[in-house]
Parts: sequence; structure tokens; C-alpha cells
Amino acid sequence: MKHFSKAMFIGAAIGMLTLTAPQLQAATPKDQLVIGTSLAQVLSLDPQQATEPKALEILANLYDRLVATTADGKIVPQLAEGWTDDGKSLTLKLRDASFVSGNPVTANDVVFSLTRLLKLNQSGSSYFKRIGYSTETIADQIHVVDPKTVRIDLTDKVTTEGLLYRLALGVSSIVDSVEVQKHIVDGDSGNAWLRTHSAGSGPFTLNKWTPNEIVLLDANKAYVGGAPKMRRVIIRHVPESQVERLMLDRGDIDIGNALSKSDLETFETKSNFVIQRVPTGGFYVLAMNAGNQYLANPKVREAIAYGIDYKGIEKTIMGPYGRARNIPVPENFEYALPNPDWHLDVEKAKQLLAEAGFKDGFSLTLKTISQTPRIDLATAIQASLGQIGIKVEIQQGNGSEIIAAHRSRNFDLLLPQTSALMPNVLGSMDDFANNPDNRLEANNAGNFAWRSAWDIPGLTALAQKTSVEPDAKKRAELYAQMQQMFVDLKPALLPLFERFEPLVLSGRVKGYLGHPNQMTRLENVTKAEAE
Amino acid sequence: MKELSVAEFGRRIAHLIVSLFILLCVTFVIGRVLPADPVGAIVGELADPAAYAAMRQRLGLDLPLYEQFFIYLKGFVHGDFGTAILTGNPVSADLAQAFPATFELATFAVIISTFVGVPLGLVAALFRDRLIDKIARVVALVGHSIPVFWFGIVGLVVFYAGLNWVGGPGRVDVYYEGIVTPRTGLLLVDSLLQGETDIFWNALSHIILPAFILAYAAVAYITRMTRSFTLEQLSQDYVIAARAKGVSPAGTIIGHVLPNIAVQLITILAISYGGLLEGAVVTEIVFSWPGIGQYMTNALMIGDMNAILAATIIVGFFFMFLNFLADIAYAVFDPRTREAAR
Repeated sequence: MKHFSKAMFIGAAIGMLTLTAPQLQAATPKDQLVIGTSLAQVLSLDPQQATEPKALEILANLYDRLVATTADGKIVPQLAEGWTDDGKSLTLKLRDASFVSGNPVTANDVVFSLTRLLKLNQSGSSYFKRIGYSTETIADQIHVVDPKTVRIDLTDKVTTEGLLYRLALGVSSIVDSVEVQKHIVDGDSGNAWLRTHSAGSGPFTLNKWTPNEIVLLDANKAYVGGAPKMRRVIIRHVPESQVERLMLDRGDIDIGNALSKSDLETFETKSNFVIQRVPTGGFYVLAMNAGNQYLANPKVREAIAYGIDYKGIEKTIMGPYGRARNIPVPENFEYALPNPDWHLDVEKAKQLLAEAGFKDGFSLTLKTISQTPRIDLATAIQASLGQIGIKVEIQQGNGSEIIAAHRSRNFDLLLPQTSALMPNVLGSMDDFANNPDNRLEANNAGNFAWRSAWDIPGLTALAQKTSVEPDAKKRAELYAQMQQMFVDLKPALLPLFERFEPLVLSGRVKGYLGHPNQMTRLENVTKAEAE
Repeated sequence: MKELSVAEFGRRIAHLIVSLFILLCVTFVIGRVLPADPVGAIVGELADPAAYAAMRQRLGLDLPLYEQFFIYLKGFVHGDFGTAILTGNPVSADLAQAFPATFELATFAVIISTFVGVPLGLVAALFRDRLIDKIARVVALVGHSIPVFWFGIVGLVVFYAGLNWVGGPGRVDVYYEGIVTPRTGLLLVDSLLQGETDIFWNALSHIILPAFILAYAAVAYITRMTRSFTLEQLSQDYVIAARAKGVSPAGTIIGHVLPNIAVQLITILAISYGGLLEGAVVTEIVFSWPGIGQYMTNALMIGDMNAILAATIIVGFFFMFLNFLADIAYAVFDPRTREAAR
């Protein structure tokens, strides 16, 4: 056993050496903010391309936009110091800011950026295309008045307010045209370069992005609003909720925002942590394919609306993620109507099904991304609808599978989620009240209502009318009409829960205020000394 | 190596290439028939059909399947695995970054599992049905039956969050990110090469737990196999003769049994090594380890087929290559195999 003991001794020695090695990790440094999240969906940091929430959180700090929205939904100046509106166009005066490169921010950069958005023609451009701006027309719609003034013409599809809210979106970020033009390859508008580099005037600059690993942002000391308090922001990919919870507990990260309900709840009782429940203005939705033989019938859709236990699911599954609500306008928005009388009523639901001619029920599939909390939500809906005689088979998939099925109308039931374009009725109903052409040939896969084959000419026209109504009082009336019409139609896009993004902050973090559109700025965030 | 004929060696190489080609075909077909939508992942959910169609064409996904395969094969032969959607980089560049992280983890794990599994198996065989054997069997059973995922979380709760003995998820603490310039891609090696001892210790404290967790399943397998190889040898005449001559149990094991089971051990270690590379997928998710497992998982989530295909082939190739080496080792070190081959 002599040799053997020696081997064991060496093994033990290596083990001891490792375990007693200097433990260098401690609380995060005071001048660096560390955020733990899932970066899995971040595919690009090109501001005119990325629309994914986690990418927006990064882009919000690398770039400025002409205007911004506050956490409570007000429009405030950002690169523009002010604007005037003559009913036909919006004129914005730029402040004296510079890009990180040292180049001044000019009207040319604004024109370049917004033109670039339409030219790239990806998801983000739909926000502007829908209101009458296009690659062909944009040159005549945006004008350089002088190096520090830009004028944007209004179309007949948008009000000044509607345009301003769109200018505050991440896709409207202003890029350094001089810098980006240096990196255009094969007419790609600099996309290949800008995916992994930053050319903005925001409070931070991109030091490094390794997909699914880490994003490092360095402070832009020359930022027009003053140097940020944090020297560096580190966003670390932590896809596993329980691991993120441990890292928060240990003080290795300061903010965690991809936690499951149960992990999140463990912080409720801890005094050195704060939970923020950021309202998004968006919804978890039950999309019903109106092209389906059963779901085409409004009575069936109403039966489903009466067949779901919203309150029970809110309590047991959604927790901090959602609040039961069946009109796609958050409860606290101005002019929001009270909830319709949809609640779990098995008898009434069965009666509606019988009236529709399906007394014995039928079977449907329910597609969902296998992700918290949607997968649990699907199971609860399955159980709930089972009680009224609708047999639901759940089909899980990853994001690309489910979105592909959604885009091609290849589903019976599906669980998507939405965000509010603007913090008002029009903005939150944008996805729910527009479907200009429901024909299959229209192939309008970018349209939320089209994907459910939900033909709503009346509601579409009403939404259109509302979006250009200049009179606030009349607009308020139209807001109420839109919501009422939505309920009366027994929607194929049934909002289930108002969507919140909960996040946990270490008590050391001060000045962090989660933004409804994921445009949270970090320049004023500070950190207390570690205890 | 002199004993292994050139023809035999060539035959095994050809076998390796054919297996690789079959793997390539199967993975390609599975990849293309999956209902994943890489185009949607790039252009975004709200993009209009024209933008969608243009991107589809750019990726070559509008071509017939055989044409896509042919193009892929042509690129593959030239070492071009295409471009990854996730990163926009050539897949080969991504893999060159991700693979060393996995390689480092798997190598660390195979070292641990060898140093634990082989002695445990030997001792268990030597003291058959005694307490140590029973312990070894329990260790093997537990390692075999409990999911790596669960082990990972428990390990983190106890050793990272509770006892503060090891570093947390990731290869290194966030404050050390970007300091070491990758040369080999192996952080432990690179940090030492650049004289960054602080980072070396930090990286070591980060790798130790995932490596142990990953190694555990392999320990179970190695222990079980070593035990059964040893038991087989212990009943042989030459062992009985050695024991009769008064050689101590340890002397018998080290002097007689070990050399005789060495070739078999090499094979199971090679298989374990390949298995560890595969097993790293789950471990990497739990430990936010930026290796090939995590790369593949994320690629799968967005339907990034070029990335999935190349990563699968790399892992598959490594697995086959290890088997090939084990095969060669067999042929070189075990004369009986050579005789049979002839």
C-alpha cells in the first residue's frame, strides 16, 4: 500500500492547495456595476437592428436618441434640447453633444441614422413603416435645416406625439455617421461592424461583447450630461435562475433580472435586497388562430375567455411577472377601461360551447416557448380548459421554432408576449388593433393580428382614426371605443396578464430605475461601500 | 508503433474519415429538417416578408437541400464552416474560442476522474465485498443516477454560496475579464504564461467545482470498470502464483495487475474523455461556462444550424479521434489484438 498511499497523499495535497488558494472574489467593487442576466437572445448590438429587450438595455446606454421617455412615460429631450411642431412637421434643435469618437452630433447624423433604420429593413423599421415612412420616401421626409437642426415631416398616419414616442425607441438611436461610413462593406450600411462595435454619444461605450458570455461597458467620461458614476458596467450571462440567485446572495452580482418566480421570492424577506417590478405595458397573450374551424367562432373564443382561471394562475404561477387583465391596456394607463366580465365560469363556458355547436368539446394544440413563466402558464391553461371540454395538447419549442410557427399561422393556440409601443391606449393596443389585410396572400407575418388570422377591419380603421386625431378630448373618446370594440369582438388575441419584468437589486445599488421599454439608463446609478 | 502495419493504420484512418462523413450527413439532415427559423432570429419578429425573404436568400436557405449540402461540404473541405448567426463571426473562429474552454474543463475532469476512479476501482476489487468495496459501489451508483444538473446546483450551494471555498460561475471573476490575452485559449495556461498568478488562482478556484461535478459521472464509470477488470485478473493463475510467492496485495496490483489492465484502462479513459466533452453541455449551462456546450445550446435556441453542425462535428470528431487513439494503443500494446487482426 506504500505507493498507493503516496498517490492518495498527492491527490489530497492538490485538493487542499486548491481549496486554500487565495480567495480573490469578494463583493463587487464600488465603481463597477455587475448585472446578471440571460444574454441568449442578444444577436446584435447594431441599434437599428436589435429589438430584443436585453439588447435594448445595453443600447440604451451606448447611444442617445433625440428624445427619451421617462419611466412614467413622459417624453423628455435627450439629444434634442427642444422641438417645435407646426402640425405638418416636427423641428428639433440639437444640443451641443459629441460622439465618443470626438465627432460632433449633427443633423446629418440624425438623417443618416433614421434613413439607415429604414434601409436595413429589419424588424425595427416596422415601427416607422407602419406610419408612412419608407426607404423610397424617407429622403423627402427628413431634412437638415442647419447642422444643429433637423426637420421631420409628419405623414397622414401619425401625430406629433406618435412620432416622438417612436423617436425615443432603441431603433431610433443616433449613430456616428462619420465613423459608421468608414465601415460599410458591400452596401451593408456598416451593419457587420456595428453589430459588435459602438459608435454612439451615450454615457457608456462598448469595450467588449462576447456573445452568451459577457458585455463590458466603459464610462464615456466626455458624456454631455457628465461622466457616469460607474467606471464600468459588466453584464454577465447567467442563464440559470438558481445560479443567479446564489450569485446575488454572495454579492458577485449587483442586479439579477432573469430569475424564476420561486427564486425571486426568496429575496422578498431579505433586508439587503430590493425587488423592482417594472411594468412593461405589454401582455402575456393567448393567441387563437381564427383560421381554425373552432376558433373562428366568436362564441368559442368567448367560451375560452370564460374557461381560464386568471386569478388562480396569477396567484400560483405569475406572481411578480403578471397581473390578470383581459384588455390590452394596462390598468393604470389613462383612459383604460375596467376589465370585462371574463373569469373562470365553467358552466357559462360550457353553455357557450354548446351554443356554438360543440357540446362535446374538441381538441387543440397549444404552442409555447419552454421558458419561465410561459411553460407553467401553458400547463395551467391546459388544466383549466380541460374542465370545459377542450382538450389541449401542449407543444413546447425553442424561440425560433415557436416564432416560425406563429409567423406561418401554423398553430391552434400559442402564447406570445407583447410590449407597449407608447405608454397610452394606442401604444399598448398597437399589436392588437391593426390588421389591414387578413388574406393569406398578404403574408404580413410582421403583423401580430394577421398571424392569428383575426380579421378586424372595423377596429383597424378605428385605430387608424385615433392615431391621427389631434384633439385630446376626442382621442380619449376614441380610446374608450377601441377598447370596447376589442372586447365586443371576442378577441382572437386574448390578453391574459399584464406583463412585468421583475428584478432584484442589491441594497448597495442606488438610483436604478427600471424602464418600461427596457431603456434603463445607468449613468446616475451609484453603489454604496460593501459592508 | 513498429508492430502496427501501415496498411492497418491506413484502414483505421479510412474508418475514421467514413465515420466522420456519416456524422456530417446525419447532422446536416437533422439540422435542416428541424422546424427552427434562423431567419426570424436575425431579422426579428416584426420584419416584413420582403426582408425575411431577402435574408433567407442571403443564407442560402432557399436552395434545394442537396445543393445546400453540397455547398456546405465544399466549404467544410476548405475549413469553412460558414458564418454563425449568433455572433456574425466565422463559426471556426467561434469554435476556436469556445472549444479551449470546454477542453480545459474536460481535461481537468478526466485527470480528476482518473486519479480518483482508478485507485478506487483497484481498492474495491482488492477488498471485494468489504466496506471499501461497498462504498465504491455506492459512489458509482450515485454518480451514475443523479443528474449532473442537480449535482451542479448542490455543489454551488454548498461550496460556493455556503462555504465560500470555490469561485462562482464563469471561468474567472468578472473583474479579471479581458486582462489575459488568449494564446492557447486555456485560461490556466495563458494566465501562467503571462505571469498573472492572481488570475491563475482565481481561474483554478472557478474550474475546480465544475470539473469535479463533471468528473463524478466519469468516476463512477471508471471505478466500476477498473473494479471488474481487476477482479478478472485477480482470479488468474499468475496472480495466485504471485500471491503464493508472498507478494503483498499492493505489490500484486501495481506490479502485476495494473500492467495487464493498462490497455483496457486506456480505452475506458478515452471513452470517458469523449463522454466528458459531451457531458460538458449541461455543466456549462449550470456554471455559465463559455464553452462549446453552451455555444451549442444557444445556437440550438435560435436555430443557428451552421454553429450546431460544426460544434457537433468537432465534438464527434474528438470522440472518434480518442477512440481511434485507444484503438491504436490496443494494437500497439496488446499483441493479442494484432494477432487477431492478422
